[in-house]
Amino acid sequence: MEGLNLNQKDDTPGTPEEPPKITYAREKLLEEARRSLAAEGQHDRKGISIVVIGHVDAGKSTLMGRLLYESGRLDEKTRRANEHGSSKAGKSSFSWAWGLDGTTEERERGITMDIAQQSLTTPHRQITVLDAPGHKDFIPNMISGASQADCALLVVDSATGEFEAGFDRGGQTREHLLLVRSLGVSQVIVAINKLDQVEWSRARYEEICALLRPFLVQTGFHPSKTKFVPVGAMQGVNLAAREGDDAKELNEWYSGPTLVDLLDILEAPTRDITAPLRIPVSNVFKSQGSGIAVAGRLCGGVVQVGERLRVLPGDESGTVKSIEIEDSSVPWAAAGSNAVLYLTGIDPVNVSIGSVLCTPADLVPLTTRFTARIIVFDIQVPITAGASVELYHHSRDVPATTVKLISTIDRASGKVIKSNPRVLTKGTSAEVQIALRPTGSTNIARGIPLESFAVNKDMGRILIRRGGETIAAGVVLDIFS
Amino acid sequence: MKLVSRHIDKHGAGHVTLRPEDDEDMWHLYNLIQKGDSVRAPAVRRVQSVTSTGSTESHRVRLNLTLDVIKVEFSASGAPGAAAQDAAADQTGSSSATATTATLHISGPVTSENQHVRLGAYHTLDIEANRDVRIEKADGWDSIAISRVEEAIVPGRGAEVGAVVCGEGTAAFCLLSQHMTLVTHRISMPIPRKSASSGASQHEKGLQKFYATLYDSFVRHIPFGNVGLKAIVIASPGWVRDAVFDHLVSESSRRGDKQLHKALKEKVIKVHVSSAHVHSLVEVLKSPEIATQLKETKFAREGIVLDKHVFFKMLGSDEMRAWYGPDHVCLAADRGAIGVLLISDDLFRASDPTTRKKYVAVVEAVQQKGGEVVIFSSMHESGQQLNQLTGIAAILTFPLDIEVVEAEEREEEERKKLEAEEKEAGNEYHT
Repeated sequence: MEGLNLNQKDDTPGTPEEPPKITYAREKLLEEARRSLAAEGQHDRKGISIVVIGHVDAGKSTLMGRLLYESGRLDEKTRRANEHGSSKAGKSSFSWAWGLDGTTEERERGITMDIAQQSLTTPHRQITVLDAPGHKDFIPNMISGASQADCALLVVDSATGEFEAGFDRGGQTREHLLLVRSLGVSQVIVAINKLDQVEWSRARYEEICALLRPFLVQTGFHPSKTKFVPVGAMQGVNLAAREGDDAKELNEWYSGPTLVDLLDILEAPTRDITAPLRIPVSNVFKSQGSGIAVAGRLCGGVVQVGERLRVLPGDESGTVKSIEIEDSSVPWAAAGSNAVLYLTGIDPVNVSIGSVLCTPADLVPLTTRFTARIIVFDIQVPITAGASVELYHHSRDVPATTVKLISTIDRASGKVIKSNPRVLTKGTSAEVQIALRPTGSTNIARGIPLESFAVNKDMGRILIRRGGETIAAGVVLDIFS
Repeated sequence: MKLVSRHIDKHGAGHVTLRPEDDEDMWHLYNLIQKGDSVRAPAVRRVQSVTSTGSTESHRVRLNLTLDVIKVEFSASGAPGAAAQDAAADQTGSSSATATTATLHISGPVTSENQHVRLGAYHTLDIEANRDVRIEKADGWDSIAISRVEEAIVPGRGAEVGAVVCGEGTAAFCLLSQHMTLVTHRISMPIPRKSASSGASQHEKGLQKFYATLYDSFVRHIPFGNVGLKAIVIASPGWVRDAVFDHLVSESSRRGDKQLHKALKEKVIKVHVSSAHVHSLVEVLKSPEIATQLKETKFAREGIVLDKHVFFKMLGSDEMRAWYGPDHVCLAADRGAIGVLLISDDLFRASDPTTRKKYVAVVEAVQQKGGEVVIFSSMHESGQQLNQLTGIAAILTFPLDIEVVEAEEREEEERKKLEAEEKEAGNEYHT
């Protein structure tokens, strides 16, 4: 790839204060991206991102921490430091989770509060891992992580009573599965964790699988795309390998694939690289030297070093100084990758979590009012016209109202059952009009970048929550600008 | 607000003179004064006079003007400078009477002539605190307006509460009084999230900066030293409220701010809410910690009636007994089915007097039948939510199917139409 840089071709006259120059013309870049994506997986690893979900205390961070160690991403020195630190704090069982729970507060409380992003390599895949918080107060963060993922890894606690607590009404197992499905994730691996606490009981493993299977189908996961695997995260059993004394009991009845085997056969979704560039920002931080670093997943298109990007909402643009994917610098990035972009010539106050980066020629529309087709979840209080809700779109959440209930729809045929319904009860599909509520001292709602589902799938998915509960998910049909 | 004089006869004609004292009184006046009323209040007017030599001279005259109201404007947050002064005054504890930050403007043509102003000249009154305002109603005083006056003049009204709704990097400072929620200040700071490449240090640094900003804003915008302020609520999802509280306490003792330290220890209540938006204030009000403290206040009552406890809960459990929308509620009122009527004061401010009369009639009908009427203030979050729900809703005493009722209405109408047609046909036949 570096060899191609030799026949450099500038298509914009570079200004003297901007050292990075555009390497490729757009057509050439697209061709290059397409070629390299096609070649992926043959001699290279296929890139894929996975979000780790599950009820609070199911062992998500511990599982990932251990997996990172087994795959060599977490070095011995850090592991020792974590082990020492956690036992000193009287929380030795959180030793593995500390690999991902980096902030003081997370460590003190022994709970993940925000998404931790790590990378992992299996023989055929380059996996971006997004470790989501399980606590229900941090679902906004979990949504932000899940909207960057292609697949999900559901961790469930098999200990007596614990699985039930997570799976019952109000437990996060259900809500997380619904959320990731609504955000377009179609493949899921279910890791049944803490089997050591039930003496590696096969009956318990099968009981949990039997309970989860119908729910997964009902939620919309195809049975061929759901896989189950028994694991013991703390001891590292059946993560990368099934060896040693700890695994003896499991080996008596289980001979299927390990977690890493399953991760290795995840399918990468198709990437729409010809679409206009959209990067919803999930993190903004200071980079070394001047400028800012912006992390996010490309929801369409390609971006290269030297390109000028517009930040929306706002009136600011900056130049891409360098691009990083999985800690290594690259000349360009295509749709589907989680990239860190270093921008120069931009004031950091104008870029915030939830902004969208796009090319100046093809701007993402800003809107305060749109129609959406939604599916109402299992709720007790029905949705009325004028209900106050929170609208979630990528990493952004804003207060909104369902201004108008347009019609209820038959989910199978798409026909209108009733127009202008009075309320939407659980399980209905409906078309509604949603408007953002004004925030700030002015009584004018500020627009957010949004596109209809037909234009860009990733940019057109929304979630609606109320009172700490997800009440509906949907896709944007039309926007009023 | 003080009642200076009141002359209302049994038919509702007459006038009331009131003396507003604070922000909330401005809100009451805004709800009382309607288009068409005649309002007399002190005003400052620039008067130009031409001398015999032809030079013009202009000077300001203070005088009382009577207007025929055309437009009433209310703005909750006045000049920011006033708010800052207010906070500064509270901090020293020297002033317990809060200066007004809300402004009320009333415009219209002058109806009583005097030596400076011609009849029919336009003027905009800027209503000031502690200056008498005389209101005379064009269509007489109805029951809603009279009860509003009575409510407004009760001395020593309920608790005032300060609230900080915060999340990581965001905070909204609110002041809640009987009829208003004022968002006095907002903070929104970007906090880098933890990430593999930059580590957690930027995140912690961002948080520290956020806490420091929050401390400064807290001191400026929450009148914690004020005796009228009964409680300070710190609400957030997660554990931000604990961290914020701890920071406020440690910082106040570090800086030696004893008054703040004491207020924090005595007044702060920490409440869990599900989101960091201002609209989760409704959740604050229904939380058991707050509900017991503020049981008798209007805003707590409003929150409870609208919220899950009554209206929305009923909507979930028995849809036939929870109705909303003006047409539907009027139908229910006609059938005498309303147990609790929820109505926003927004509807009474309708510029069209017939609309107002319609709603007044509904309220009076419900009260006559022994139903409860809760008038929501649209300056509160609960009132705003009701406004979005068309502004009017009702809990019925017995279930009624809306479609059956609508079908009945249609039949009735058709019957009437038919009758009229028959009559007409009959007339034609006779002629």
